Amino acid sequence: MARNEDTMADGESNAGTDERLITTDVTAGLDEESTATTDSSRTVIDARNVDFYYDDVQALDDVSLSIPEGEVTAMIGPSGCGKSTFLRCINRMNDLIDIARFEGELRLRGKDVYDDDVDPVALRRRVGMVFQEPNPFPKSIYDNVAYGRRIQGMDENMDEAVEQALRRAALWDEVSDQLDKSGLDLSGGQQQRLCIARAIAVDPEVILMDEPASALDPIATSKIEDLIEELATEYTVVIVTHNMQQAARISDKTAVFLTGGELVEFGDTDRIFQDPDSDRVEDYITGKFG
Amino acid sequence: MATGTERQGTDRAAFGGVSRLRGVVFRYVTFAASLFGILSLAVLLGYVFWDAFGLETAAPAWYATMVVTVVLPVAGFLLYARRNPLAGRTALELAATATGGVLSGFALVVVLEVIAGPGLWFAYFLAMGVPLGALYLYGRRVEASWTGLAVLGVLVAGPVVGTALLGPLSRIGGFLGGPGVYYLSVIAPTALVARHVVDEYLDGPNGNYVALATLVAPILAAPAIDTVAVLSRSVWLLFFPTLVVPFSIVAGRNLATPGRRVGVAGPLAFALGVGLLAVVPDLLGVAGPSPWFDWQYVTSAPSQTAEQAGLYPAIIGSIFMIVLVALLTLVLGVGAALYLEEYAPSSGPAGAVTQFIRINISNLAGVPSVVYGILGLAVFANTLQFGFGTVATAAFTLSLLILPIVIISAREAIRSVPDSLREASYGMGATRWQTIKNVIMPRAIPGILTGTILALGRAIGETAPLIMIGVATTKFSPPSGLFGKMTAMPMQVFTWSSYPSEAFQHGVVAAGVVTLLVVLLTMNSVAILLRNEFERGDY
Repeated sequence: MARNEDTMADGESNAGTDERLITTDVTAGLDEESTATTDSSRTVIDARNVDFYYDDVQALDDVSLSIPEGEVTAMIGPSGCGKSTFLRCINRMNDLIDIARFEGELRLRGKDVYDDDVDPVALRRRVGMVFQEPNPFPKSIYDNVAYGRRIQGMDENMDEAVEQALRRAALWDEVSDQLDKSGLDLSGGQQQRLCIARAIAVDPEVILMDEPASALDPIATSKIEDLIEELATEYTVVIVTHNMQQAARISDKTAVFLTGGELVEFGDTDRIFQDPDSDRVEDYITGKFG
Repeated sequence: MATGTERQGTDRAAFGGVSRLRGVVFRYVTFAASLFGILSLAVLLGYVFWDAFGLETAAPAWYATMVVTVVLPVAGFLLYARRNPLAGRTALELAATATGGVLSGFALVVVLEVIAGPGLWFAYFLAMGVPLGALYLYGRRVEASWTGLAVLGVLVAGPVVGTALLGPLSRIGGFLGGPGVYYLSVIAPTALVARHVVDEYLDGPNGNYVALATLVAPILAAPAIDTVAVLSRSVWLLFFPTLVVPFSIVAGRNLATPGRRVGVAGPLAFALGVGLLAVVPDLLGVAGPSPWFDWQYVTSAPSQTAEQAGLYPAIIGSIFMIVLVALLTLVLGVGAALYLEEYAPSSGPAGAVTQFIRINISNLAGVPSVVYGILGLAVFANTLQFGFGTVATAAFTLSLLILPIVIISAREAIRSVPDSLREASYGMGATRWQTIKNVIMPRAIPGILTGTILALGRAIGETAPLIMIGVATTKFSPPSGLFGKMTAMPMQVFTWSSYPSEAFQHGVVAAGVVTLLVVLLTMNSVAILLRNEFERGDY
């Protein structure tokens, strides 16, 4: 825990005081700012000058971006470019790594999630996460979906909540008669949808997805992609992918990270893929650099 | 076509062969090594069993009778069970219920009748068991939030009240007498549990009838029991809930299911065969074996005459001690392993300390057991005044001895839980405690139990540290309590081995070895059952 306090001190000393005033005191200002950089949608996650280190290795270099509400934001880039690291900064999963160090500001609805008074556990209850490898618990399908609600003490109407989560994850029709079966008995694609159901059962504000389809076959992948587009009507989705076609298909906004943890370009997906500002991004997207 | 075949032929020749000579030699060397180990063990065990059961006195006709009455029927049933797996499963179920019932009944007798005694047991039963049972029954009917707290309160206050009122409460037990105490404290709860189990999990008879039968049968059977010399009424009442009730329920259910009915024939044939084997050779005047390992051996005290010698005080001492060791090492070992794996910092100066501790725990696992004996003598016997050669001193000393092994294996088991599951749990917003309780422990328990079994096996066979802390080599009564003097099975067996008489060296010692093995295997099978229960996946 001492580590987090260090992080806090660093974060505060580095963060610009002016930005702090704008984002905390005047929420309207936040909206105006995001209007300027993105479209008219409201900003949910706002990163300012984020640096991130694993020991001495810098994984993120001065990353600033605003993720809008109710849309799918994709992060693409070559391996080791820091896109997953950035994703894990949002729900502070990187706290679990001893040697990790965060600097800068990362706001969820205006509140810096690296503030002293933010409990990472409470934060993760508002920001759900789906991982690269499907990782259901070795419990029954029902218990998997119920897990999040149980640990949060939301025990009432469990049956309905489980059914609803499985329906929204487009899994209900396949498993409704075998809820007692172990989650590990499902196919890879079903397991991943189970993990998505587990994440949305607690109604998070944001869902983070770390290459959710990279371990799946094309058919399972297309089901997951349909599901993500469906989810974006209710949730803010941030998805990391190394598959550029996937990003182009499902996302509204795209952030391109390149080597060294640098955010090279961020904007509407259509524009990024058709007419990027940066030559490096164009090279990457057309496959001249990878 | 012709050219094709030709090319194929040349290709094959061009590939040549790859020598596997070394691999084949290595394979047979490993096979020989395994065979050597298994055969030596088999010869040793065969030798010990031959002596322990006095098989050399049995006439060939006795063996012939055994083949006819026991071996052939059982072999026939096993052959039949290969074609009818359901019958085989039924037989296995019945055999497991009977074996488990006998062993747990024996454990219950040891704990209640021998170690605690009816008076002490009844005092704590009134102070803790009755309130807990009442709270449980009440909690099942009414949703009340305070019952959990109340249970905690009883758990804390119960022992205090029980100890404070030990005099008057145990006088009630004394007034009721052993059978009365057990009827109220063991049979009555069994009736309730049986009713619940039958109603809840089995579709068959009405639970109320089963409960009524459980209450009435022991009384009706009492006159018949009195005619059996080795079974006192108290012992019978303690075996009743562990053996008779479960066996009756399982047997009754199997008899009522058409496909399973035939499976009952297997255990029945075995029981009849053993019964016939006990009677028929006597009638024919054929000499049977004269076993050293028998009921008299496990129930009587050591003696100077080999025929009257028994291991009873040592058996009780060893079991009492190993139960304490198991409790202590599980709590301390798993706790330490959880801290080292899940909580302890792994980087920075604090991480270096953690690393230092981890390495040194591994080193402690290799320290000779005599050293732990000296430590136990200095710390537990002398400084803490647990006394020389007492159960408490022995249990704490042996716990220290096996604690490193338990910690290492528990750490391995905890570390083998995939990180992806931890991430999944933390990502859901679970706290560390929730993650440990719901995700890590259920996955790690089978591995932890495996390591603990091995460690307990080592503890129950140790003699060197026991000698250091002054455990008696021979005792004529079981330990009187936690701070009573004890002896252990290996100590007693070792003492007998130095007696000059042939009967001791070959008969009594061998029987002791068999007893030790039986206790060890029982302990292991309980742990394996527990492990399988957890490994089934759904928890």
